[in-house]
Amino acid sequence: MSRLKDLQKNLFGGTTSNARQFGMIFTLVAIVVLFQILTDGLTLRSDNLIALFNQNSYILILAIGMLMVIVAGHIDLSVGSIAAFTGILVAKSMAEWSLPWPVAILFGLVIGAIIGAWQGFWVAYIGVPAFIVTLAGMLLFRGGNQFIGNANTIPVPEGFRLIGSGFLPEVGPSTGYNNLTLLLGLASCVAVVWREFQARKTRREMNADPAPMWISLLRLAVMVGVIVFASLRFASGRVGTSFPVSGIILVVLVLAYSFYTRNTAGGRHIYAVGGNSRAAELSGVKLKRVNFFVMMNMAVLASLAGMIFVARSAASGPQDGNGWELDAIAAVFIGGAAVAGGIGTISGSIVGGLVMAVLNNGLQLLGVGTDRVQIIKGLVLLLAVALDVYNKSQGRFSVIGSITRSFRRDTPTPPTSSSDAEREPARTAVSG
Amino acid sequence: MRNLIGKSVAIGAIAALALTATACGSGRDGDSGGSKGDTKGFASDSLIGVALPSKTSENWVLAGDLFTNGLKEAGFKSDVQYAGASTTVADQQAQITAMVTKGAKVIVIGATDAAQLSTQVAAAHQAGVKVIAYDRLITNTPDLDYYVAFDNFKVGQLQGQALLDGMKAKKPNGPYNVELFSGSPDDNNAGVFFDGAMSVLKPEIDKGNVVVTSKQTDVKQTAIQGWKAEGAQARMDQLLTSTYGSKELDGVLSPNDTLARAIITSIKGAGKPVPVVTGQDSEVESVKSIMAGEQYMTINKDTRNLVKQTIAMVKALQAGNTPEVNDTKSYNNGSKVVDTYLLPPVAVTKANAAEAYANDPKLAPLTK
Repeated sequence: MSRLKDLQKNLFGGTTSNARQFGMIFTLVAIVVLFQILTDGLTLRSDNLIALFNQNSYILILAIGMLMVIVAGHIDLSVGSIAAFTGILVAKSMAEWSLPWPVAILFGLVIGAIIGAWQGFWVAYIGVPAFIVTLAGMLLFRGGNQFIGNANTIPVPEGFRLIGSGFLPEVGPSTGYNNLTLLLGLASCVAVVWREFQARKTRREMNADPAPMWISLLRLAVMVGVIVFASLRFASGRVGTSFPVSGIILVVLVLAYSFYTRNTAGGRHIYAVGGNSRAAELSGVKLKRVNFFVMMNMAVLASLAGMIFVARSAASGPQDGNGWELDAIAAVFIGGAAVAGGIGTISGSIVGGLVMAVLNNGLQLLGVGTDRVQIIKGLVLLLAVALDVYNKSQGRFSVIGSITRSFRRDTPTPPTSSSDAEREPARTAVSG
Repeated sequence: MRNLIGKSVAIGAIAALALTATACGSGRDGDSGGSKGDTKGFASDSLIGVALPSKTSENWVLAGDLFTNGLKEAGFKSDVQYAGASTTVADQQAQITAMVTKGAKVIVIGATDAAQLSTQVAAAHQAGVKVIAYDRLITNTPDLDYYVAFDNFKVGQLQGQALLDGMKAKKPNGPYNVELFSGSPDDNNAGVFFDGAMSVLKPEIDKGNVVVTSKQTDVKQTAIQGWKAEGAQARMDQLLTSTYGSKELDGVLSPNDTLARAIITSIKGAGKPVPVVTGQDSEVESVKSIMAGEQYMTINKDTRNLVKQTIAMVKALQAGNTPEVNDTKSYNNGSKVVDTYLLPPVAVTKANAAEAYANDPKLAPLTK
């Protein structure tokens, strides 16, 4: 086994890593560095990083749900309208029925669940294509938003704004940093280290080869380095700011859904349905239940995203949710999901969403107008997916292979093993 | 192999340390801003941010150009941004945040949604940035510093008065049949225009001299979402069918030119004579329409003057002075009364068009 093969197999996301995902992380880092230079260091400044998360967490939350919908072979065009519909209902419930804000959030999630059940019913049990059901939903709930809100902008109370524009409180001794953010960073470092050694232990117990020690250490060094850097950055913003609350919600959701889609039977069923629904059904996957679940789950997440946006904007307005479905879908496809379903990961979609977010933010910092930003984003989406399609038709080409080819001369390996190394990512891609 | 392990660990550790060091270097900014910068002013070549709504009307495009040129002439660096066409509010929020990050000293905002920017305005305020609301008042925030606009209540009053005058000129005695239109409900100004017009029309309606035949006098019934022409045209179509089968329509209160032209299109489509229709903004097509005797009036709110006034305020802030305001009482945004500079609007009909647009290079030739 060549060291480079070890590296590409093990460094990012364990053995299920694939070239595409590595390529996107590479792209993300490249874009960040590019803008960091072009904007004279504004991109990685604390306030900008905080703003980046505040501005995009709702889109990334949508991307989580959208990934599952797309993996299952569907699409959801109604997320923006559902977000707007929930937003106006929640805002009104607080303004007119004086619901306390935590109850209002629950109320919003319940609305999402009901809408999701409605759409899931048509998709899973009647068999109407999700494209049609959600196109109808897009009109239905946009109309509902205007009907209920009379196209007015309705402000929400201070407490509710926490989930969209809130920060962790300042507690403990004065360290020059936000202490809770530091604690979060520390906790994630510990979690990352613990997880790595736990994984090694599991592999040894199962008599599988654990990744070489140096790989584990390198991976830990990179991840801990990134976490330490990020938490110091987030903790050193203006007094009163920290890692944003909406970012925490996002991270919790990403972790939970990554675990669900990777490590549970229910999650794997989604991939099975998307890969080949007939085969999945014959092997005992409850097709209808899976389809129902992904549609319902999407609507709940859309409601949450809508509430976070309303909280961030301090008001629910008639323009909420316009075009969100497209941002979420773009994030998922840039993150490596297949248009036909069955392939894609939560982390990939988040990276895809972050690529768009950093691009957007960097161009805005440079003062590029929205017209040109849209043109650039459109091209990025097209190129990312075109690259994916091209890779598949070629079968052998791999982003990582092309990047690392020049380094490979000094590690002579037999030709068979080398082509193995190049084909590996393509094969493992399906397992996400 | 052993050697390699050592090397990799060392590289990793160095990378982590390097990252940590850069992070530590940034330190933490205090909660300075706000009060500190009040009297001092700032460097004369500072960055001034201008966030405008999407390019849906000629006025905003013109305003953007005027800001770019005007701020440059005054020696400032400028960053003039428009919101995108579909995700207007989110775009504007991100643009304002980016301007704060870039270190703008003053941010001028023409809001797409008056009530959805308070978080960003608060962040700007905390960073010591002065915020001026341009043309549209930003509501529900105590952090807005100034508001500069045309006197919109007066705009409404002028529209109401012109409607009455126009109808009287055509038909000396009432009662007159009229219909009312108002602007987008998420635009804070729409209600102000309507209230201004109603302050003139209401006494006449109460006297029975003016009759709103459809009885739709509530602002919710008259509103046109997003100031969209097709919305006004559709509503006028429906009013003509439901109410004016045999009756004669004498006048229509329209809040701006785009809607006025849509209303006239609808009425002509139904084969009825064009009544007295009001407008606002002095758009090219409407000035042509006025000269051709179709639309009755428009309002001239010279964007040039408004931008000039805004830049004057920016200059005053730069020098550390308090910008001139002429209204410190009437504009309450829900959190505070905002210091305001109001410019007077001018009503324009065919009679005074040549005089009113004499200084406007684009409109003056149309009035000859």
